[in-house]
Amino acid sequence: MSTAPEPAATSLPVPSPETSASSLPSSRETGGGSSGAAPRAASRRRWGAADLSYIAVFAALIAAFSLVPGIPLAAGVPITLQTLAVTLAGMVLGPARGAAAVGLYLAAGLAGLPVFSGFTSGVGVLARPSAGYLLSFPLAALVVGLLVRVLLGRIRRVRFAVLFAAGLGTSFLVVHPLGIAGLMLNAKLSFPAALTADMAFWPGDVLKNLAAAAVAVSVFAAFPRLAPRMKPRRTRAHRS
Amino acid sequence: MRRSLELGAYRPGNSPVHRAPLGLKAAGVVLGSLAMLAAAHPSATGAGALLTVLAYAGAGLLRELLLPLRLMWPVLLILGGFQLWQAGVWTAVAVTGNILVSVLAARLLVLTVPVPRLLDGVVGLVRPLRIFGADPERFGLALAVMLRSVPYLLGSAADVRNSAKARGLERSPRALAVPVVIRAVAYAQQTGEALAARGIGEPDRD
Repeated sequence: MSTAPEPAATSLPVPSPETSASSLPSSRETGGGSSGAAPRAASRRRWGAADLSYIAVFAALIAAFSLVPGIPLAAGVPITLQTLAVTLAGMVLGPARGAAAVGLYLAAGLAGLPVFSGFTSGVGVLARPSAGYLLSFPLAALVVGLLVRVLLGRIRRVRFAVLFAAGLGTSFLVVHPLGIAGLMLNAKLSFPAALTADMAFWPGDVLKNLAAAAVAVSVFAAFPRLAPRMKPRRTRAHRS
Repeated sequence: MRRSLELGAYRPGNSPVHRAPLGLKAAGVVLGSLAMLAAAHPSATGAGALLTVLAYAGAGLLRELLLPLRLMWPVLLILGGFQLWQAGVWTAVAVTGNILVSVLAARLLVLTVPVPRLLDGVVGLVRPLRIFGADPERFGLALAVMLRSVPYLLGSAADVRNSAKARGLERSPRALAVPVVIRAVAYAQQTGEALAARGIGEPDRD
């Protein structure tokens, strides 16, 4: 229970997760990023309880979508909704909070909470051939969040197409390259073999990004405050 | 489903493996797996497999060796067959064996340590990151809120799936996802308000 002698922080014992909700003291000094994977971009603005709650609930959403059985496609191969939830975290929460949500999900799973597909958990997933895909998720949420913020800030008309393009672009820029790297590293496949294995995910990927774009449009319609706003001029940004 | 999430894979026991400190076990699993993967040699895989089986026997959990095998055999079979054809029998043994042994060794950790202790361990791991602005307490709070939300969202997903099935839409990812995500956002907003109302999770306003 030792807290490092840091001047800014009051020395309080770290609460165990199951009691922390009731016993946490209110105010904490923070630099912004809460999970280890939280990106630097967030440190400009501090996250409040609302941000924390979004991050935690979207981490839970990724877990839930990883655990529910996959949707059977026409070919008989089920697709899971896990990557759909990852993409949505970036689209809906934005790059920083989205990446933090995915990072929290990964941290919980690696720590042993059975939130990976098939109720698996623990650091053992890093040895699996699919580890590259899993580790690409926080970066994917970050990139898709950035793309959506930048593009939707300019284009208003074809939201669905913009969201779909951002999602698919992220898949091919981030998820598939890292997934292929994982296959080459963990399964010792050559590049052509890994690429061939990866291509099996392409059709499902297109479908999932179509779905993610549709879901994001619905979420923005239901919760307009979450939608990225048009920027009139860039001077309005409230930096401290 | 819900029960298994809260309890994780934990199998209560009082063996030396159960009683060993979490840090020691975690370091053993991670360093052992890394050494075995770095060696990339069948003899290292054999040694790792032997140690892992001994540890499972020590914990009295030999039966648990079967579950990951049951989940992973199709992937391992395809991969092993491919490597056998491409690179020969020893590479096939080393590659598939390394994956299996690493997964089994890591699972022993989850089997012998209750989930709350594991999560405490992670929060402890975040503590040294404070100099980079990480906040272990808010991280712990986020973990707690996440843990609490998963059963709700799983129930919500099951409800939506049933009603989608009734409308013949069980194959549409969109019909399955939209209501769940909308409810999740609403749930997150309510939770955020509840936390803020109690002054929990807010940064200092100075």
